[in-house]
Amino acid sequence: MTNTAVCMEQRETTLRFSRIKNYVRQPHIVISLVLLVILLIIVILPFARMIEDSFVWQFADTRLSRNAEPGGLTLFHWKRVFASALTQNILYRPLINSVSTSLSVSLVAMFIGSFLAWLVSRTDLPFKKIIATMAVLPYVIPSYIHALAWLNLFKNSRIGGAAGVFQYLTGITPPDWLSYGYFPIVVTLSIHYFPFTFLLVSAALTSIDSRLEESGEILGATRFHILRRITFPLVLPALLSSFILTFSRVLGTFGTPYFLGTPVRYYTLSTQIYSNIINRIPSVGYILAFVLIIISSAVIYINQRMIGRSKSFVTIAGKGFRVTETPLEKLRYPLLCLIGLLFVASVILPLVLLVWQTLTLYPNDYSIKHLTLLFWIGKANTAFAEGEAGILRNPAIIGAAWNSIKLALVSSVIAGFIGIFIGYAVVKGRNTKLASAVEQMSFLPYLVPGIAFGALYLALFSHRFGPLPALYGTFTLVALVCIAKNLPFTGRAGITSMLQIGSELEEASETLGARWVTRFRRIILPLSIQGAISGFILVFITVMRELSLIILLVTPETRTLTTMTFRYQEQGYTQFSSAISVLIIIIVIFGESLSRRFGKKNGI
Amino acid sequence: MPFWDEPAGQAVEHAYGYTVSPVLQERRITMRKVLSVLCVLVLVFGFTVTVTAETFDEKALYEAAKNEGEVNIYSYSSRVFKFGKTFEEKYPGVKVNGFDMDSPEIVTKVLAEQAAKNYVADVIFLKDPSTVVNELYHKKLVYNYVPSDLVALIPAMYREPLLVHHASVDALVYNNEKMNAFPIKSLWDLTTDAWKGRVIFSDPQKMSEFVEVLATIVQHSDEMAADYKRVFGKDITLSSGVENAGFEWILRLLNNDLIILGSTNSVSEAVGLSDQANPPVGLTAYSRLRDKEKNPNLKFDVITKLEPVMGVATEVVVAMVKGGAHPNAAKLLIHWMMGDTKGGEGYKPYFVLGNFSVRTDVPPPKGSASLSELKLWKADADYVWNEGQKVLDFWVAHLK
Repeated sequence: MTNTAVCMEQRETTLRFSRIKNYVRQPHIVISLVLLVILLIIVILPFARMIEDSFVWQFADTRLSRNAEPGGLTLFHWKRVFASALTQNILYRPLINSVSTSLSVSLVAMFIGSFLAWLVSRTDLPFKKIIATMAVLPYVIPSYIHALAWLNLFKNSRIGGAAGVFQYLTGITPPDWLSYGYFPIVVTLSIHYFPFTFLLVSAALTSIDSRLEESGEILGATRFHILRRITFPLVLPALLSSFILTFSRVLGTFGTPYFLGTPVRYYTLSTQIYSNIINRIPSVGYILAFVLIIISSAVIYINQRMIGRSKSFVTIAGKGFRVTETPLEKLRYPLLCLIGLLFVASVILPLVLLVWQTLTLYPNDYSIKHLTLLFWIGKANTAFAEGEAGILRNPAIIGAAWNSIKLALVSSVIAGFIGIFIGYAVVKGRNTKLASAVEQMSFLPYLVPGIAFGALYLALFSHRFGPLPALYGTFTLVALVCIAKNLPFTGRAGITSMLQIGSELEEASETLGARWVTRFRRIILPLSIQGAISGFILVFITVMRELSLIILLVTPETRTLTTMTFRYQEQGYTQFSSAISVLIIIIVIFGESLSRRFGKKNGI
Repeated sequence: MPFWDEPAGQAVEHAYGYTVSPVLQERRITMRKVLSVLCVLVLVFGFTVTVTAETFDEKALYEAAKNEGEVNIYSYSSRVFKFGKTFEEKYPGVKVNGFDMDSPEIVTKVLAEQAAKNYVADVIFLKDPSTVVNELYHKKLVYNYVPSDLVALIPAMYREPLLVHHASVDALVYNNEKMNAFPIKSLWDLTTDAWKGRVIFSDPQKMSEFVEVLATIVQHSDEMAADYKRVFGKDITLSSGVENAGFEWILRLLNNDLIILGSTNSVSEAVGLSDQANPPVGLTAYSRLRDKEKNPNLKFDVITKLEPVMGVATEVVVAMVKGGAHPNAAKLLIHWMMGDTKGGEGYKPYFVLGNFSVRTDVPPPKGSASLSELKLWKADADYVWNEGQKVLDFWVAHLK
């Protein structure tokens, strides 16, 4: 009897053991586990530090309270945010402002982006190809340039200085609500972020077979009815995910709200987070960041409830497929004009203004007789611009340009690859806890404002940490934070493209005896590379323009173009900072077209 | 007269003209007594102190600096590139890597570099001495260096605990194209209806030096109250919950639709740009006057006659960083930055209106009154460290 029991036990152990072995043998499980470890270090660890720091006295807190004991536990920071004389002005009012601007921007951007996407992919609008290419440009232009352009147009005499073009031409002083605060923030940020929706919705629209719509038409439905009952539900997932992306992104945006809001004391949570971290009260900044994270999470939750269980709409059926264009008839040219206007406002006007600024001898003096190329190619001369050479001759700027390019390339390639693996792990392991943990962890950095994320990396990795050496001052640290912050982009792109690859292909090659590495290299990678490239491009653009995330982490050797523009802006050298912005835009456009070409060559 | 012998009990005028209240003076004197006793003890026990009267051996220092080859300096001001260039011309073989960033950023970075033992900066040159002293100096992460040939030329208060490079003044500016006389006579005028929505401040939430300014005004609340009485002919009535006349001034200013902008140069531009119908006045750095060379469309000047004071003087300090790889080059650079009797090539970028050398042998720049002739309050590092955040909190809590 004891014999049997031992036997049974042995068998059970072997069974369990082989089950574990089999489980671990599955490549997507191995990948998930490796990803889990990576994500624990670069995402969860900073997040845990954020929670810890909010409960611990910091040295600089001795300025705030006589009771502060650096290192000791305290609820002080939480009380300061939620129950102090400051609560009204650092939490409630900024919170209301943040939510109302983010909601408005997401709705407006969604409307512009999806309407444009429909026009470009579903109608006989002329110049569609050009429009589709240009639609990404507003995102390439730094958003503070849109804010600056707005001020140049609609500035009134409230903040002194020169009046805007509108007042100059019409003689009417624009009211404050038009010049500063909520309204201009919503308009400029909508113009900046509608490309998100455009990209996602046009991808969804091109993959819908228009025969679905045609069958509606045959059954006698009106065009509006078809739009509402057939097209709209099919693009709903794309619309909602663009809503999430835009909403969370705007919540964390700092520059434009600060620039357009401060003159009328219109503060948002992100401006409060920024000033608390800059004033070395990071704990309070972190708590405010939690508030942002909670709001975004709530929005995402509601979103997922709206999409419901029928989350995946299979639109690629592997059968015949065609897209019919809806004739616009009389509206063709009026709509084209409207789009033309949109591009003038969102791309051409800000760009012309930007380039013009680089050529002005004196800031804000746009007269022709005072134009100069000194800020581009001038030699260093102590009588001019405090002795700084034009940007094309300035070794510091050229060094920073190489840093920027290196940083953007390294982080987008690495983040892009990790994104493919995330996609593979999440899609193969659909509905397992492990997969959803990987998915959610990889999305978390999107919700943490850049400045807070940077401050956390500074706090964590400036010391030796376990096996990790002190990373402060290294390129690795700056790249690491950029990779982590951009995983949500590449992870999403990876998941989307992996969803489109049927598992039959991989299974077939598995039957033929291909090892996993071969399968991955020969099947998965080539098929998902298109999606990965779009993620890669998005990361490249974002990192080239990244400022608040890395400003605390860069050292003189690792500083980037954006950190240089920031300094020049602060010093009042609009010309230098604009010239560097132009340089950034040129590099981004060049990089984007290069990677698109690469994508076409290697695409399937 | 040695500094520790200043008579107590009455307002004392310092070498540079600002006054210090008697109570504070008394506290300082006890501190100074303790300090002087300590100094004597140190001397008795035969330690060499940096402040001994040995001659400054420039040649030896240069030789040592040449071996190091370069020096890294974190500077709050872009003018670092100017004195860096002249330094390289004067001392060939020693390269200056100047890096321009905000003062709080310098503090954050030095803290990180010390924690990581990755010593990049050799010298830091920045505003906000209270933070530098409390966060870096007291933790022994930076140390003081006063070139020995300058000891006799710089008053003790500017040599300890860290060497002050220059004093800088934040003051109110007005548009002198539109207005031919100073538009206001007292700080309290800014709180009247006539100036509703016409006053611009630099954002103290973003720039620490304006926390120093506001804290200093609160520190001198008695004088603020006296001036209120002088202007309006009656005692000031404080709003409920407001501690003193300094806070009351901040509150009334905020309630008078004060406009806040993000940088000192945007303030001077808002005030000074020509062709304005109704230009505002603004609080900014006195040295912004140099913007007029950069942009001839700027027409503004500093309001130098104002009650109770025309502005607040803050200090810019320079310090050596512990662990820096180029200490000799750093010392040579600090010596260069301090200039010579006529101002000097190294000090030249700061020999401008609104910046004041701490050297007793350097005259004020042309067209400028000396610091002692200007009616100023000096920011007190201890007070700013202990009370500055409270004042900023008050500001934030009342931003309606």
